[in-house]
Amino acid sequence: MITAVRKPMEEIIACVSPYDRILLVGCNECVSVCSAGGRKEVALLSSALQMHFLKQGKTIEIREMTLERQCDPEYVEELVNYMDGADAVLSMACGCGVQTIAARFREKPVFPAVNTTFMGASERQGVWSERCQGCGDCVLGITGGICPIARCSKRLLNGPCGGSTKGKCEIDANVDCAWQLIWDRLKALGLEKRIEDVIEAKDWRTSRDGGPRKIVREDLAS
Amino acid sequence: MNFKKKLSAGEFVVLAEMNTPKGVDISELVTNARRLKDRVDAVVIPDMDNGVMRMSALGGGALLRREGLETIAHIYGRDKNRMALQGDVLAAYVLGIPHLLAVPAEPMANGDHREAGTVDDLGEIDILKMIRSLCEGVDMAGFELKGAPELTVGCAMSPVADDSQLAQEVETLSRKVDAGAQYVVTSPVFDLEAYGRIVDALKPLRVPLVANVFLLKNVGMARYISIHDPGSRISEDMIRRIRKAPDREAECIRMAGEAAAELKNMVQGVKITTLGWEHRLPDILSSAGM
Repeated sequence: MITAVRKPMEEIIACVSPYDRILLVGCNECVSVCSAGGRKEVALLSSALQMHFLKQGKTIEIREMTLERQCDPEYVEELVNYMDGADAVLSMACGCGVQTIAARFREKPVFPAVNTTFMGASERQGVWSERCQGCGDCVLGITGGICPIARCSKRLLNGPCGGSTKGKCEIDANVDCAWQLIWDRLKALGLEKRIEDVIEAKDWRTSRDGGPRKIVREDLAS
Repeated sequence: MNFKKKLSAGEFVVLAEMNTPKGVDISELVTNARRLKDRVDAVVIPDMDNGVMRMSALGGGALLRREGLETIAHIYGRDKNRMALQGDVLAAYVLGIPHLLAVPAEPMANGDHREAGTVDDLGEIDILKMIRSLCEGVDMAGFELKGAPELTVGCAMSPVADDSQLAQEVETLSRKVDAGAQYVVTSPVFDLEAYGRIVDALKPLRVPLVANVFLLKNVGMARYISIHDPGSRISEDMIRRIRKAPDREAECIRMAGEAAAELKNMVQGVKITTLGWEHRLPDILSSAGM
């Protein structure tokens, strides 16, 4: 899922303070799962903003909405009847959702209330870790199901480096060495010989390095 | 008088662009450079020009410095992060390259190492600010330097197709000047009348302008640029002039020389770009009376 964390209150307040009527929009997908921008977080942020502005002696009108998916134009269309009553939109979705609203309602200022952080997985309750950088050319099949691009601090394709100590990375003793994990996993699979294969320098064109990416499915595109 | 002094004294400067080799055979570069000695104020060395892997501008600059030429090295952010760029700026100064030109980089997708990763840690404005900071003795992390470089820094203007793009570019250039650019190298000039309007629009920047005289080498090249870069304003007359000339190569040289000579009355300098025809630079200069 795409993970996010709420922006500091001061930053959100600075964005919305010039406006009297705010449309606060959450998303029921990834940000809801990682408790950053779902219905519950929308309600909490709305209350926090109301309280802040009340203390300042300012009345602010906040309408709360949580869409099924903010990154889909069909769902964003549901906002059309509420836009006239809003001076600005505060979105609690990932950057994809914020941009979908901004593209549809060009005349309204749209502000992000969360920082989109990474594509990750849930480790345990309340803990998410980065697992994928969307490089566009997955190597998990040869690295034992552990991604060196997302999980090795140096993105090494032929690790480990000299900074791996007792399975941990030199950047932080709490960070696992991805290449130790890869070694352990390949060993468990009886594929440890694979570590001797040199992975060629990566072709980054499929990643962000080749410019903004797009998927066009001819069989589905309208 | 050196490049920096001429620039600040308002005197006309002549620059020539020379690419480094793709390899370590420097004979052609050195031979061509020697022929320019005392004829140009500085040689501009692009870095991986057009996204093609070559010897670095730092290496080329240091080499030509050894040959007694002043050099201006390109600097951009596609291939290096702020650590590497700052290291290069310091190295440039001690290697005798006192001038840098912050330029936009060709997208990796258009170069010859398309699979390479891009860095883009700093943009042109960030680079200009970084150089200014180093010249003031402080790096980007706020640490004091043991000895600060003294550098002349220029910036590049992107080609503009119409007035609205020009207005946008003037705004961008104004931010570059605020960030420390001491002069502007403008986009290639093919239509002097249109260029006059660009010069007028750039006057409020109050920094010297150096026009890019771009050598059209043949009809095909002229046609290609006129189609793919509408802002170039290469006229049918220009293309016809090359096509009808008994010696097309000589005509191309003459046209570049004429443009350089006329630009002397419009701006404070010219940079002659030949894209591989560096051996013809002396002929262009002669044709321009320079």
